[in-house]
Amino acid sequence: MTPRVAAAMWRFGMAEAMAYRASMFVWILATCFPLVSLALWSYLAEDGAIGGYDQAGFVSYFVAAFMIRQLTSAWVCWVLSRQIRLGELDAMLLRPAHPVLHHMMSNFAALPMRALMALPLGVGVLVMAGGGDPVAWGDVLRTLPTLALAWGIVFLCQLTVACLAFWLTSATSLYEAWLALHLVLSGYLLPTSLFPERFAEVIRALPFHAALGFPVEALTGRLSHAAYVEGLGLQCVWVVCFGVLASLCWRRGVVRYGSVGA
Amino acid sequence: MSGGVRRSVGALRVAAAQFRLCVLQALQYRVQFWTEGVLRVAWSLMGIAPLWVAVQHRGEVAGWGVGGLMVLTGMFTIMSGIYGAMVQPALAESMAHIRRGSLDYLLLRPVDAMVSCLTSMYSPWRMLEVLVGGGLVGYGVYREGVFSWEGLAMGGALGVLGVVVLYAMGVLMLAASFRALRLENLTFMLEAMLDFGRWPVGVFRGLLKAFFTFMFPLAVITTFPAAAILGRSQAGTFTVAVAVTLAFVFAARLAWNRGVRHYTSASS
Repeated sequence: MTPRVAAAMWRFGMAEAMAYRASMFVWILATCFPLVSLALWSYLAEDGAIGGYDQAGFVSYFVAAFMIRQLTSAWVCWVLSRQIRLGELDAMLLRPAHPVLHHMMSNFAALPMRALMALPLGVGVLVMAGGGDPVAWGDVLRTLPTLALAWGIVFLCQLTVACLAFWLTSATSLYEAWLALHLVLSGYLLPTSLFPERFAEVIRALPFHAALGFPVEALTGRLSHAAYVEGLGLQCVWVVCFGVLASLCWRRGVVRYGSVGA
Repeated sequence: MSGGVRRSVGALRVAAAQFRLCVLQALQYRVQFWTEGVLRVAWSLMGIAPLWVAVQHRGEVAGWGVGGLMVLTGMFTIMSGIYGAMVQPALAESMAHIRRGSLDYLLLRPVDAMVSCLTSMYSPWRMLEVLVGGGLVGYGVYREGVFSWEGLAMGGALGVLGVVVLYAMGVLMLAASFRALRLENLTFMLEAMLDFGRWPVGVFRGLLKAFFTFMFPLAVITTFPAAAILGRSQAGTFTVAVAVTLAFVFAARLAWNRGVRHYTSASS
């Protein structure tokens, strides 16, 4: 039963992504800031490498960051928080499938479409910027598991925050605060390894880096085998942490849920 | 001519009255002071991180030293505060009016409809950013020891042009929302794009530099006023700023006039 339901939800999510492709394109444009950061940092690296990144290094890093950001996106926080606030969750609770499964599949199903729209943009910038460092196929393979775990961190973290809406009525502003931290600390605006050493050590242990900076560094071949395994372990830790938190918040929250609107 | 002056004074009085109303309203919700005002300032200051890292590695950015960058950051904080306190809320409110068809009530008022839209909502708490930004500019100028009255006057004048450009960009988006609905995410995108105004426009090259000077004039909004305050404006800056501002105002008014014609009341 469940695989069939999940497959149906996947098809539903794909259809939804197709229907709202214009709006999705605006969102992709809204997330192309790494491409401006690219211009900025490669200018700064004109007189010599910064912290191990020369111009080509920055080009690879930011194009990879842009692509990986597209492949690990989720928006369950906004939708679920609204459903809780307005009482729209009722209908979903009545369905035989778990609401979280629905959100998971609908978020997940939009990724291929997103990747398809973002890929030409990424490749175009790569060509325009004069190409980056060559990418090894081995690194691409090594990135795949980090991508799955990164998506898990993003999705579960959003789910946790969204469930807080059971108590707070609206949780999106909370997640926006989280996003502001994410922008600076995840490696989205600059590689986290460029921070002064003491800060970098702390920042690289946080979930922000695990959700974006780490897969980017894996793809651009900047990690030794030991660092890669360690980072993968850290990602698992964060997935488990947020998984436990999310399921706790969901279970406690759904009991409090007032149906007509929290 | 005197009619034009009277109209502008009237518009300013409407804006002041609306602002007072929004302040009174905001004072009822003091928790928002913390979430909207104080936290916003904290986030805004945190956004300095990339610039700070660049200075750590390079000592200066495109010829701007630490004090100069402080003035620029202050100018950016002022501008993003103004955008968040005055422009963005009005846009979101007006777009909602357009979508619901309740713009009728605004169009019926004996005030220019564009003025009504642009003064329809304020988020007073975000003015806190303007204060903090002003403090930063002051401290940066003090650190550099470059204070001069001409510089301040020039910087102030360029700053006003920057605010006008911000409003003009807002009107352009508003005009677009008469045709396509659900453009609120565009206003947030604009705010995010504004973040690159933290960097002196000199770090961009070629096409991108032209883009950030003329198309999406971050240079006019932050770099030019900050450079003027520091007394290091390049020749012709003022002309470029005036030309860009005029072009934006003209385009915005034209787009507004065309857009409002597309408004079909109840459900546009």
